[in-house]
Amino acid sequence: MALMVSIALLAATAGHAQLAVRHAAVLPLTTKSPEARRLAEEAMMLDLDQVEQAKAIEMLRKTVKIDPDFAMAHEFLTQISLDPAEQVSEQQKAFATRNHASAGERLAIEWYQDAMDHKLISAIVKMNDLLSRYPHDKWVVWMTTWWLTTQTQYERSIEVYERSGIPDSPGLMNNMGYSYAYLRQFDKAFAQMDKYVAALPQDANPQDSYAEILRMAGRFQESIEHYRASLAIDPEFYSSQFGIADTYSLMGDQTQARKEYEAGFRKFSLPELHKILWQTREATTYVREGDYQEADRAFHAIVEYTHSKNMSQVEADTYRQMAMYQQKAKHGLALLKKADAALHEGKNAMQAAIRQESAQILRARVEIALKGRNKKTVGSSLAKLAELSQSSDDKVIDSAYHGAGGAVAFSDGKYNEAIAHLEEDENNPLSLELLAAAYQNSGDRAQAQHTAETLANFNDPSLEQALVVPTFRTCYQDPSCSGSIKSGEKQQQRRRSHPLLM
Amino acid sequence: MGFRRWLLILVWVAGMSWTAQGKQLAVIADTANPTTNLTTAELVKIVNARTQTWPDGRAIKLIVRDPSCADMQLVVHRLLAMTPEQAQAFVQAHRGAIVLAGSDDAVVKFVSTNRGAIGIVDLYSLTKDVKVLKIDGKLPVEQGYVLRGNSQ
Repeated sequence: MALMVSIALLAATAGHAQLAVRHAAVLPLTTKSPEARRLAEEAMMLDLDQVEQAKAIEMLRKTVKIDPDFAMAHEFLTQISLDPAEQVSEQQKAFATRNHASAGERLAIEWYQDAMDHKLISAIVKMNDLLSRYPHDKWVVWMTTWWLTTQTQYERSIEVYERSGIPDSPGLMNNMGYSYAYLRQFDKAFAQMDKYVAALPQDANPQDSYAEILRMAGRFQESIEHYRASLAIDPEFYSSQFGIADTYSLMGDQTQARKEYEAGFRKFSLPELHKILWQTREATTYVREGDYQEADRAFHAIVEYTHSKNMSQVEADTYRQMAMYQQKAKHGLALLKKADAALHEGKNAMQAAIRQESAQILRARVEIALKGRNKKTVGSSLAKLAELSQSSDDKVIDSAYHGAGGAVAFSDGKYNEAIAHLEEDENNPLSLELLAAAYQNSGDRAQAQHTAETLANFNDPSLEQALVVPTFRTCYQDPSCSGSIKSGEKQQQRRRSHPLLM
Repeated sequence: MGFRRWLLILVWVAGMSWTAQGKQLAVIADTANPTTNLTTAELVKIVNARTQTWPDGRAIKLIVRDPSCADMQLVVHRLLAMTPEQAQAFVQAHRGAIVLAGSDDAVVKFVSTNRGAIGIVDLYSLTKDVKVLKIDGKLPVEQGYVLRGNSQ
């Protein structure tokens, strides 16, 4: 940002009118304190281009102390904070102080507020309005491409980046690498990563990102090599340590995975959310091994911790994840009751996050009640989920509704109806597995094959992946088991690979 | 970056990474157009070039992306009920009534500057210069909206 402002000033002074016009379109950062502006700009450079998130957060905290009316600094802090309570309070402050800011900054703050309030159309309109005013501004391009990524609008995110004409931002190269990877265009993703590594050869994050994308592509050994290269550059770059652990877990070596997680916990002092994230991943290693007793023990420890920290939504989500792998439906449903109770407390959670979690819990309840053949609970939970979905325009909630609706339709043998629902939740392994089967049973061989291939190559270290993909992949790779899956031929309505999943 | 994504998953609920990728298309008109809602049947007639004027008598100018592009498959299948090849031929045969644009931005620009224009764009292309028409009383973000989901 500072660089762009300097360039703009220099160009204007030199009389290069055209260049000045282009670079003049920089989002102003309104503050009465030059020191606060300098800190905010530096913090965002640190966060975007060097992925020094913790340092950037500290700088922004200082910034808003210097100038509490610096609305955009509050907004930046909302977006990069690792503390849910801070995210809530900073967004409130950004919104409350927006009248101290320029029209462009107000637009950015209101766009994010609308997104949080589930006013999607209004959020999109504001985003595009801001982008049309500042199409070459690094922060606007960053906010836009990032938000579009969270909305799974990867193609549009790439389009915004390419139009921005910003060729030299390592942070944006990184983001675009991920966007291509999510589109499973790995050649383009690796090309971006090569550029990113070349731009910052002495930084750890390019190697870390390269590793993650290699893992998404299923190239596990190369992934671990890049994670180790990252740690060789910066031994404190903890996400690479946990990346190694996650990768071993995906490779099926849970003992080694746990060793790597534990090494990470011993060595690094982590922000709360990161700590919980990787504790959850470690707990999931037991699910991958089928050791549900140990999994319960590990997940319970996380529940107690999140409860003690008043992190209601994270606590609720931990209960939800526990419920998902339970062998008996009644145990799963009991855990979901606890999830509801935790969520009801609503401590340190944004309203949007509470509604999304509520939808996820309802979806889990539908899946588990289906397993227990509890039609009444299936019906009532699906109805509540439909109502929640109707009253919001939130993609997470919609996906939860369609995932649940698809599971119910599938269990009733209504394959076309199931397909219509499940296609709206096609990044979730639970839905993908049913979708492949629904395509098969409806006679759509090409789509069945494509979906099965996508699922067999799904490498995300999540609980949902753990519940579905390893078993599915084993079958997919065994000709005696996968004949009908690979050819897309019609098969009998089959039960899913995990006991919970019908 | 590698870990900021996971931050979002935890903060916004474990599920952010599983959000759907189904298409959502918006039907747009110029901001001065008094129409706020169309039925699917009315929209089909407009897209088929059977209806060529608005209720106030103003001429309808339909602008869409090329029927062969991925974004248009929902329109081709759900409104025209044609194959992409048939849709291509149909558009060629109705050059006067249907304008083709190279991008969503071009559709939005045309609609915003031409009274009576109507266009179909990706939801994420919307700007303040156009209005979104409801279809059967529903906005593109609502369940049951006709131009939402997969192309089939």
